[in-house]
Amino acid sequence: MTTHVTVSPPTVPTSVRPRLLEARRRREGWGRTLLVGFITLVALVPILVVVWLALRPRLYSGESGPTLSTFVYIFQNTNILWWLRNSLLVALTATVMSVVVAAPAGYVLSRGRGKGVAGFSLLIFVIQSFPIVVFVIPLFIMFAKLGLVDSIWGVAIVYVASSVSVACWMMSSYFDTIPMALEEAAWIDGASVFGGFVRIVLRNSLPGVLSTAIFSFLLAWNDYLVALVFLRSDLQFTLPVGLQTFFQQNATDWGPVMACAVVMALPPVLVFAVLGRYFSVGGIGGSLAGS
Amino acid sequence: MAGLALPSLVLMLVINGYPVVFAAVQSVHGGGLIRMGPLVGAENYAAALTDPAFWAAARFTLVFTLCGVFGSWVVGYALALLTRRAFPGQALFRVLLLLPWIVPVVVSSMSWNWLVATRDSLLPELARALGFGNVLFLANPTLAVITVCVFKVWISYPFMMMMSAAALEAVDEQVYEAATVDGASRWQQLRHITLPVTARSTYISWILMAMFSVNDFATIYLLTGGGPVNATTSLVVLAYRAVFQDFLPGYGVAVSFIMTAVLVVVSVVLFRQIRRSAMA
Repeated sequence: MTTHVTVSPPTVPTSVRPRLLEARRRREGWGRTLLVGFITLVALVPILVVVWLALRPRLYSGESGPTLSTFVYIFQNTNILWWLRNSLLVALTATVMSVVVAAPAGYVLSRGRGKGVAGFSLLIFVIQSFPIVVFVIPLFIMFAKLGLVDSIWGVAIVYVASSVSVACWMMSSYFDTIPMALEEAAWIDGASVFGGFVRIVLRNSLPGVLSTAIFSFLLAWNDYLVALVFLRSDLQFTLPVGLQTFFQQNATDWGPVMACAVVMALPPVLVFAVLGRYFSVGGIGGSLAGS
Repeated sequence: MAGLALPSLVLMLVINGYPVVFAAVQSVHGGGLIRMGPLVGAENYAAALTDPAFWAAARFTLVFTLCGVFGSWVVGYALALLTRRAFPGQALFRVLLLLPWIVPVVVSSMSWNWLVATRDSLLPELARALGFGNVLFLANPTLAVITVCVFKVWISYPFMMMMSAAALEAVDEQVYEAATVDGASRWQQLRHITLPVTARSTYISWILMAMFSVNDFATIYLLTGGGPVNATTSLVVLAYRAVFQDFLPGYGVAVSFIMTAVLVVVSVVLFRQIRRSAMA
């Protein structure tokens, strides 16, 4: 296509050419919008279906056209508000803990050298390779002694354990982009390693921290297996288990099920709508491949 | 500096390290969930390796992982290329295309279930209209495998798209101008410039996605429950069933350990590849 431009007839006055080029580029741009828009539409069919089924009037309700009455129904007839509260508590706790633990560890991975750091890095990789099924039974037995079974706090701890490796990689790869000269200057001014890390590095790492937080939040919010094993009573359920249980009991009545699904999908979508521009997984591999 | 790693180290040793050791001990013992049985040595591992169900699950895991890695990479990379240069709505579409990854799998498995398994919904209607009769997407073993794999690609392509987009940002635009002047076609540019320059990131995304796919429980279990007739039972689903439905933790853990061992070996080989490509 570009060759087309280079052989354009010399009769065109040079002053007009940039404008023609720009017009052509804009046309091509809109063509791209159409193409990508069509692909996006196809890709989002399963998500549009959820919204459509949730807004569709229920049988024998006498309503026509989109309605919110299904949402009223689920708030009155299920424990969804409890599940929502539990999910929010679990995911936010796991997110904060995960960032607090992973940020200093990521700093060590990014700046540290030597055998100890290499071993630490290897440990993180091996841990990430095990499926969560392996951790679940020993943790279940351990948590039973501590009274953490059927408790959302127990579940939050498991989520930290399962997100900590990737969280460390994400933090470490972000710290790699911050020049070391900044901390060195602080050290010369008498700051401790910890002081330099918190006041200089961490303060300049908001996108990295947000990225890691979003990842941990999504992982905790979307998990099904851990919640399925650990949570037993309806009022302790998080949304995935609550919703799945509700689905199994009402498999033919899609409206209320999908209304619950919308409630569950909304928080992560909102998180992305507000903070999405900070999110990047691009760096994950950097520290991974370096190990 | 070592002090900064301490909280994560303690956490990992207690919540990750201890359970792995405990599970390793469990895998050489008989007995049930609560009370561990007598020492049986490598019996659980031998039982797994001679069990046809194990090999069937291993084969499905391989198919599922290959689709998860390469299927979502092809789609994700293509979309990253397509949305690379500015066009009207670029920022919006880049976020919208991530939705399959953002929406919880519990939610999307339900909508896929509705789409493919409800008699009057979209895909069965389409199949009828095309003259295939009543196609049971989740009741026919082969179709169920295909459906689960497509579902996996749909969930995972956004991750690959993000990884690829980040790698593509680092490619110097001037290289393409030079290549165009030299008469390289678009395909040649992709084949000989873009792919090699982003190779490192590509290998890393393969390793990560292989780990995520092999260990993926929810995507499979929520859509098919491992059926029909175990056609979509992966090793993780097999291990889960052994532990929580048949109450044979030793066997379940042995299956997981064999799986993890293979995964680690494959990752290490791929890492070597990365380091070689980084040096070249």
